[in-house]
This record gives sequence, structure tokens and C-alpha cells, in this order.
Amino acid sequence: MSPPHAPTEYPPILIPRSFTTTEGNKTGSWRFLRPRYDEKTAPCSVACPAGEDIGRIEMLVTQGLFKEAWETILLENPFPGVCGRVCHHPCEAVCNRHDFDEPIAIHVVERFLADMATRYDLRPKLPKLPPRPEKVAVVGAGPSGLAAAYFLTRLGYRCHVFEARNEPGGILRWGIPTYRLPEAVLKNEVVLLEAQGVEILCGKRMEMGFLEALRGEYAAVFLGCGHGRARPLVVPGSQLPGACTDGLQFLESIRLGFSPQLKGTVAVIGGGNTAVDVARSALRLGARPILIYRRRRGDMPAFPEEVEMALEEGVVLHELRTPVHIEPSPSGWSLTLQTMEPVGQPEGLPAEVRPIPGGVERMAVEKIFVAIGGEPADAFFAPPEVGAGTLKLGNCLLAWAGDGPPLVYGGDLTVEIQSVVHAVASGKEGAMALDVLFREGLEAVEPILASCRVGPGPALSMEVFLKGLRCRRNAHVVKYSEINTDHFTFAPRIAPPRLLREERIHGFAEIPLKISANLAMQEAGRCFHCGLCNQCDNCRLFCPEIAIHREETPRGRRIDYDYCKGCGICVVECPRNAMSLEEEEAS
Amino acid sequence: MKVELPDHELMHSGHVGCPGCGAAVAMRFLLNGLGEKTVMVIPACCWSIIAGPYPQSTLKVPVLHTAFETGAAVATGIRAALDVRGERDVTVVTWAGDGGTFDIGFQALSGAVERNEDFLYVCYDNEAYMNTGIQRSSSTPYGAWTTTTPGRDWKKMRKKNIVEALAAHRIPYAATASIAYPDDLVAKVKKARSIRGSRFIHIFSSCPTGWRIPSELSIKIARMAVQTNIFPLYEVEGGVRYTINLKPKGYLVKEYFRLQGRFSHLTEEDLDQIQEMVEEDWELLLRKAGTMPSL
Repeated sequence: MSPPHAPTEYPPILIPRSFTTTEGNKTGSWRFLRPRYDEKTAPCSVACPAGEDIGRIEMLVTQGLFKEAWETILLENPFPGVCGRVCHHPCEAVCNRHDFDEPIAIHVVERFLADMATRYDLRPKLPKLPPRPEKVAVVGAGPSGLAAAYFLTRLGYRCHVFEARNEPGGILRWGIPTYRLPEAVLKNEVVLLEAQGVEILCGKRMEMGFLEALRGEYAAVFLGCGHGRARPLVVPGSQLPGACTDGLQFLESIRLGFSPQLKGTVAVIGGGNTAVDVARSALRLGARPILIYRRRRGDMPAFPEEVEMALEEGVVLHELRTPVHIEPSPSGWSLTLQTMEPVGQPEGLPAEVRPIPGGVERMAVEKIFVAIGGEPADAFFAPPEVGAGTLKLGNCLLAWAGDGPPLVYGGDLTVEIQSVVHAVASGKEGAMALDVLFREGLEAVEPILASCRVGPGPALSMEVFLKGLRCRRNAHVVKYSEINTDHFTFAPRIAPPRLLREERIHGFAEIPLKISANLAMQEAGRCFHCGLCNQCDNCRLFCPEIAIHREETPRGRRIDYDYCKGCGICVVECPRNAMSLEEEEAS
Repeated sequence: MKVELPDHELMHSGHVGCPGCGAAVAMRFLLNGLGEKTVMVIPACCWSIIAGPYPQSTLKVPVLHTAFETGAAVATGIRAALDVRGERDVTVVTWAGDGGTFDIGFQALSGAVERNEDFLYVCYDNEAYMNTGIQRSSSTPYGAWTTTTPGRDWKKMRKKNIVEALAAHRIPYAATASIAYPDDLVAKVKKARSIRGSRFIHIFSSCPTGWRIPSELSIKIARMAVQTNIFPLYEVEGGVRYTINLKPKGYLVKEYFRLQGRFSHLTEEDLDQIQEMVEEDWELLLRKAGTMPSL
């Protein structure tokens, strides 16, 4: 018997106890599919002629990194303030969010970023290459010329831009009314451009034979002269003095500060953006404008939003009519119109039309504006025929003759579509082509440019050209079906505030109003960021193997292939298709 | 609340669950909500294997592997022992599969919660005895193929509603959760941890092996179970106060069924009938909850 106060003796615990972890089981050996981080290409960035990295820009805005977002635009386009306003934003038409609810208002965010940079007087930090010996002359300080000079300067070349007028900007300065593009916006971006080292020489009109003068001093010439002269209307009576007013000149006179008072009905002939701008400007000056276009509204080359706003403001559209005769009348001019009918619609082209026999109308108007397109101011600005001694690229033309410096024709004269952003694309392409030409020779131009495409192209990326992080992107363009929409909720697209119709028609004040940082972040937050990792952590969160770890690299995540069994959950749960699952290579 | 994932979790890699195992994901989220002051009881189930063969353990908290029917009874005993030692801040958790909860462990569970024993019982539900070779359980849903309901003899009984059975015991807290909704799951675990008395969480955990689904769709399918109203996310407090936590998108059940091999034999008529059954259950739940979340 044990003594009364001895401690109780418990029997030993006879159950087995684990003493090691499962980390010795390298379950990665089970794997036959291998997940990996694989950033892909967003459709918006492919549709952007300037190849802006839109998915990333929206991601940075969502994170509140406004300066970085603005600099990301500047890598590919020197004009975010201009393009946020006047670009027809083809990016939004292909936005994958369109199939979910509504596309992201990309242009509103772009505009916000540019305004933000102006407000805080930001200076961008952009990669710039060491100086090169070659000097390049740029003729014309319009969007294409300025873009070419901007990119060439960043590539290390010294650039002189020769501009005939007393201020840079071209069509942006003289041809776009201030209600779409206030003067200060352009000026700010030109100042930033000059801060990069671009030298703009105004009041230098290039005369015939200017190439002789430039030879020797410049290693190449970029010609972005645009359409300096309007195409005239040729019908009986149109040559009578005072019968027709050139639309572009009318817009220019307004930008120069002359604001003629108009009254009564005026006719505007044409269907492009200039015609619409002329009509809306005439309205603001007191006239009742009637737009006359030979095809239907849907065929107009003007951007649909501009047409809609014009109609909202009170511009009247007479479609399927073409002028055939002009004669003086007591109250101004009598305009005879031939009515037309559509006869067919070739694939991807505007409708074909023919006159309706006997369909003739007359109208009495005070003034007739003509805006039916333009042509180069001087014949020697026009690009040569494509053939020997030329190389046709997407938006510009490389030409060389004899021992003269290589010429690059860019801007409106060579672009696929006449728009500001195509002009920027043309300038960028020209700059890249010249850089390759100087460094590697003519044969290398096409292959190197092809390697800088955004996805399947045709847009080119300067970031890729400079071997930036964007090089790692897979060219695959993310489709809507590849987005895991379970991780998104419906949210309406921002309806940016703008001036009321009544406020608009009495002046040339800018129509869209500024938006707050909060709204911009909200709108950018709707973006799927197709194909791009935004560190959402879903891959790590749902991994059954705890095989995904955070790490201090730009990617931020690492897959531990010692344990990853290749189940593929991370790839499916990635909301934006920034991962891929591939068959494991046999070891 | 958003789940915060620590860099060092309470679970090791190298566990031996199948690729895409929903129960492994469920365990990660459970431990995320519980923290290290936890003692775990695991009766026979998939996790008896997943945790690793002796002498390994994949969990960084103490685990007691026990017999199939004893999950709740062992937890009761551990709780009593901890109380004697004054360790009130330790949570005792039973982690059992649907077999060990709905069938074999049910009497111990019912007895323990009737006494309102102070522990958290978590059932990770993969809707059959998966570990032993996909035999049907009383949790297997209507219409499912298993190795014991093969061919034309697919299961023609409804899934037992375990949360209702537990709620009928008037325990302080009973809830459903899904591996596809980690924020909701972890919030429920934290809430349950803060309550004394018997608590029960029913976690829907997909099983690629037994459900005949691609492993990469494991989470997606669990999410669809919620979005189709097949597995609604809700809580019952005190056995009577119902809260529905998520307003589903209301997908048709056939979108969920078509993705799974275990339902591939079902005809359109069968699916229509199942749709009706699901709607009936959902309306019953709505009546009990009284309101819908405005989410």
C-alpha cells in the first residue's frame, strides 16, 4: 500500500504521437499540369493605335498611384490631356467589360490623369537613352511631328521641329474648337514635350528645296505636314466670290480670336469631324446650321458622339443630299441639292449612293461652309508612290532618294485613319524606324518593329522597344470568356458631368467637367485588368497546398513547385487570366 | 471583412489530399479564423489521411485522431480536461466529414449539443464517404451517383438537412459556409469562436475525385452550389434567429449539375424536379429568415 500523501502515479500515455511534419512529402512529383504566372494582352491596349498599356494604367489609378499611371501613358503617348478629350477611344469599343455591363470610361480616366498632372505641376520620370550623334529635323509641329520629336528625343536624338506658324500644335491648335480642346491643355503638354529636350522652331516655313538646306546638318527628316489646304467644292457656282467658306479656315479664324456674328440658316457641307465642328461653332456664333451629307448618318466619318452632341445642341442633319448648284439670292445664296439613295453597303465601307432621278431640293442660306477633306498645302509634302526606294510601314512611309537623308512621311498624309491618336502612332513608328535604321540598318526595321507590337498589332509599344517589363507579356489577347466574372459585381459606367445644352451653345467653354479622384478611382476599379496581375491574392488564397508564397519581387508571388500538385485552382480563380496551366514537361 | 492571409500558416505543405481538395482549402480557412490556441479532434474521415501518415502531421495545432463515432464525445472530454487545468482560452474543435457527422457520429453529436457542451463542431461536407471509395452517406444529394448508388440506382433520397437538425437542438450557433466564400467562412469561424456552448459550422467542400469534376473547378463548383441556392449561406442563432448571409444570383441548378460527372445520368425531367426541390427548400429558408439580405 502506498503512503497516504504520495503523488498519484498516472500510467504512461500509450498512444502514438507524431513528431514530424508533412513537408518531407514532395507532393510536386504528383503534378502533370503546371501553373505559372503568365501576363497577357488586354484588348484595349491592342485597339489603342498608340498601344497604351491601358489595363495597367487603370490598375495604377485604382491603387491611387496617379503619377505612375500618368507616366505609364507618357511611355507611349505624349498627349494624354489631348487624347483624353479628342480621341475617338477605339479602346472602349473592345473593352471586355462591355459583355458584362458597360465598358470602362477609359478616356475619362486618361483626361483625369492629365488634369491631375497639370494641377500639381508634375514632371514625369521617363527612361531616356544616352545621346546619339545623329540630328533629326521634323517638319510640322502637329501631333505626328511633335510625337516623332518626343520619341526621337527620348531615344537620344537631337530634334529640331520646324513649324510654319507662330505656335505649335497644328490641327490641335487651329482646327479643333476650344469646347473640345481648351488651349491650356495643349500648351501644357507642349511645355512638357519641350522639357524632354525637343526644340520647336516656329515661323519656319519650308520652301521647295528645303531638303537641300537640311542635308548635311540632319541625318533624317520626318515630314508631318498634314492637310494644309482644304479640298474645294466643285459645282456650278461654287467659284463665285464669297459663295463657299472653307470650314477649316473658319475654325482657325475663331481660334485666332475672330468671332464673327452669324445669323440665319447656314449650310455645312461634309460629314467628317471638321464639318461637325464647323456646324457646332456656327451654332455658337448665332447661326442655325444645317449639315449636308451625301450618305447616311451612320456612314459619317465624324465620331458618333460628336454627331450626337451636335444634334442635341440644335444642329440639323440633312443626310443623303449632295450640292449640285449654287447661285446668289437676295438673302444670301440659293443652294440646290440632289437627293440620294443608298444602293449597297460594301463590307466595312460606307454605303454606296446614287442620285434619285428628279430628286432636287432648293434651300436659301446665308452662308455655305465646305469641309469635305483636305490635301497637302504643297505638292512636295505629299508622300511618293510606294515602290523602289520606299518602305511602307503601318502609319508612315520611309523613303530615300540618291544621297539625301532618309525621309519619313507621317501624320495625316500616311495614316490609316485620320485621327490624333493615329498621328501619334505614326510619329512613334517613324521614330522607332529611324532609330533602327541608324543603329542596325534598313533590313532590321521591319522585323524589329514587328517584335514591338502590342499583341497581334498593329499598335507599337515604345516600352517594349526599350526592353521594359512589358516585353514579358504574352501576345495572347484576353477574351471575355477567359475572365472569371464570379469575382466582379455589376457597377454602372461613370456618367461624367458636363455642361448643360443651354450653357454650351452660348460659348466655347469646354463641355465635360472635371471629375474627382474618388470617381476616377471608382471607374478604374471597374476595369477587369485583363491579363494583368493586380496582386489580388486569389491564387494564394485558394491554393489547397499552401504552395504559393509572397515575395519581394515585381511579381510578388512565387509558386513552390516542390508541393504544387497542379490542380489548377489558381489559374481558374485568377479573375483576369494572368496565369496559365500547361502540361508538365517530362523530366 | 476580408481574409488576411499570414505568411506563416498553421498548416504545412506536403499533405496528402487529392489535387484540388476542397477539404484542404476548408482547413486553411478554419485555422485562419481559429488561431493557434486550438485543439483539434479528427474522427475517421478523409482528413485522417490528409493530415499525413504516422509520424507526420500537417497541422501546427494539437490533433487527436479518434474513432469514427466519437468526434463530439472526445471533444467533450478534452474540454472538461482543459477546464480542470483552467485553460479557458483554448478552443476545442471537432473536424469531421459528412459520414462522421450525418451518420456514424450523429448520436454522439446530438447528445453533446443537447448538453450544450462547449466546443465547435465543424463538418466539412463532401457529400459521401470519399476516403473509403465514394460510398453514399445521408449527406449525398438527391440524384447523385456513388459506388453504392450506381447506374440506375442513383440516390433517390434527399440530402439530410444537418443544420436544421442541429438548430432543432437550440444550440447557440449553427451556420453554413463555403470554401468559395472565404471572407464569410472566416467571419463565421471567428464568431463561433467567441461564443460559449455548442457551435456547429457546416462547410461545403468540393471533392474532385468523388464528384467526377476537374480539379481546377473545385472552387468554382462550390461557388455555384451557393449561387444556385443548393447550398445557401446562412446562420441560425439560438436555434431560431435566421440570417441569410448572401443573396445568390439564382443560377439554374442544371448549370451546377452539368459540370459534374456524378450527375451525368440525370435527364432534363430529373433536373426540373431537382430545380423544384431546391426552390422549395429555398422558400422554406426565406420564410424562416423573414427577410432577404439587400446585398
